[in-house]
Amino acid sequence: MLFKESIISALSSIRSNIVRSFLTTLAIIIGTAAVIAVIGLGSSANKALDEQIDDFGPRTLVVSPGQNRRGAVTKGFIPLDIKDAYALEKNEEHNWMISPYISRNRQVKFNNANINQRIRGNLPIHFKVRGYDVEYGRIFNDDENFGRKRVVVLGAAVPKELKTSPQNILDKEVLIAGTGYKVIGILEEEGNTGWQSPDEELYVPLLTGAQRLFGTKNVDSINIGVEKDANVDEIMMSIERILRAQHDIGPGADNDFNINDYSQFSDLRRQATGIFTALIAGIAGISLVVGGIGVMNIMLVSVTERTREIGLRKALGATHKAIMSQFIVEAILLCVIGGCIGVFLGTSVLYLLASFQDWPFAMPFSAIVGSITFSAMVGLFFGIWPARKAAKLDPAISLRYE
Amino acid sequence: MIISTQNLKRSFQVGSEKVEALKGINLSVEKSEFLSIMGPSGSGKTTLMNIIGCLDTPTEGTYHLNNNLVNDLSDDELARIRNKEIGFVFQSFHLLAKNSALNNVMLPLKYAGVREDNAITMAKNVLDKVGLTNRINHSPSELSGGQQQRVAIARALVNKPSIIFADEPTGNLDSQTGDDVMNLFKELNEQGQTIILITHEEDIARQSKRIINIKDGLIESDYKI
Ligand SMILES: Nc1ncnc2c1ncn2[C@@H]1O[C@H](COP(=O)(O)OP(=O)(O)OP(=O)(O)O)[C@@H](O)[C@H]1O
Ligand SMILES: [Mg+2]
Repeated sequence: MLFKESIISALSSIRSNIVRSFLTTLAIIIGTAAVIAVIGLGSSANKALDEQIDDFGPRTLVVSPGQNRRGAVTKGFIPLDIKDAYALEKNEEHNWMISPYISRNRQVKFNNANINQRIRGNLPIHFKVRGYDVEYGRIFNDDENFGRKRVVVLGAAVPKELKTSPQNILDKEVLIAGTGYKVIGILEEEGNTGWQSPDEELYVPLLTGAQRLFGTKNVDSINIGVEKDANVDEIMMSIERILRAQHDIGPGADNDFNINDYSQFSDLRRQATGIFTALIAGIAGISLVVGGIGVMNIMLVSVTERTREIGLRKALGATHKAIMSQFIVEAILLCVIGGCIGVFLGTSVLYLLASFQDWPFAMPFSAIVGSITFSAMVGLFFGIWPARKAAKLDPAISLRYE
Repeated sequence: MIISTQNLKRSFQVGSEKVEALKGINLSVEKSEFLSIMGPSGSGKTTLMNIIGCLDTPTEGTYHLNNNLVNDLSDDELARIRNKEIGFVFQSFHLLAKNSALNNVMLPLKYAGVREDNAITMAKNVLDKVGLTNRINHSPSELSGGQQQRVAIARALVNKPSIIFADEPTGNLDSQTGDDVMNLFKELNEQGQTIILITHEEDIARQSKRIINIKDGLIESDYKI
């Protein structure tokens, strides 16, 4: 019942000085809002990252050309050949999907439209590795690849850029670098995934591209899709072994290719985001502490103002503890109310920002609970001294206080 | 004997000067007495009340309340005695402005740890007793001075204290409402309540049963009416 009395008296004290209470908690409100918004921003960024990774379906390793060094002499980039990809393909040890590609910009014409667009030569499996689905028609198959057939699959945005519709362009011919290619399929919209824009590209079979469009057998890189729970270290060792044999690299010599684990990057990025978030949240947290000093200041004023009330309460039998708890509860309540307003404010700002910018919105519940708990602790810490001051007042003198 | 003091002294340090407010008070009060303490301003009446009301401690002398020595008790023990044994009524009422009459009266019960439903019943009973049955939800600003002082008296009564101290209870009231308050005190005294009243006014003091005159921190006269 005493605790309830503390709450009631704290609320009525806050309410009777509503403007002052608001100004006092302003720093707490802003501090909590900043902490919440920053933490939310961090987890929204991670959510975006997760969605990107999910787009890749299974985990993807990327083999790209590297430099061959013999002693101090650098011989420039050693290309990866289509044959390298087939050597990997032939390996039966692992359940992986080998997807090499070559991509260049070429002129694309359809009726009157004439655009310069990214053309990608790849194997049919590329669509599976990337998780791209067709919306109209079909993707090309291995026979069309080996036959160097002039067929093309369009990214979802391409028909519009050629000033036509998917229905009108399907099964028609487009001119790529002056040669006709039959449009056999159009992909679903994928959206941009970081540095790639799959909707903007045109896809031809790898061998068709190599021979007819690009005139090279060197691939840009080889994507290797592995299962999510695959042993990546072992797979990387197999890739290394196969490619070293392909390239005739003797023992002790360096690799002339690079193998990257994309998910390592995302882990790094996630870590960096985490550190950054913690840093900014920490800085914002300092303003909470500064707010606590403001609360302490106003509580000291409140104790002085209410000296007679404190004297009366003591005359009626309030113990040291009862007076302490009354003022500490008031300080905590002040901070917690500020914290709640701050959480609401920070969440709203982030939500608005996210919906304008089309980001995913994520607000961890633990951040909300955590920041309100933290503001309660600020109230407790900075409420102790004023409360002690109140509890130590001499009742006889306090009652005389004017 | 409820109150018994021997050679009670109280001095205050004001800057470099020492003010002797009480210079040796010997006072005994029996149960159910109705006693007035009179004296000019600054004579030490409030100081004496604070000590025998356990709000303050003497610098010298001994004080027994209900045959227990009070001198050496801790702050929290004194708080408990004030809560259970003593009821205060002040000149300026000292009600909590934002609380209803009922809440004001319940305050000592809250500090005594009484359960809320019991506390409400007890507070309503004493408010009945002082004639404020229909005013329990009014806040002090919605009550007249006389009614506010009745709330204060109800608050002093609610824990069934051994003694009620009233420091100038009629000082802020007109003579009519002052008389009403005095009649309430007389009624309570007839029911056995011990009351110690502090006043400047002769005709208020005359309504009690014993008058003590204090001057310069000493008892000048002590007589029954
Ligand atoms: N806390 C204190 N500090 C210093 N001096 C005090 C204190 N309390 C009382 N005094 C002094 O002690 C003397 C007695 O004061 P007290 O309040 O007891 O007088 P009183 O008889 O109640 O007067 P009044 O009729 O005006 O209320 C006064 O001189 C007063 O200034
Ligand atoms: Mg006085």
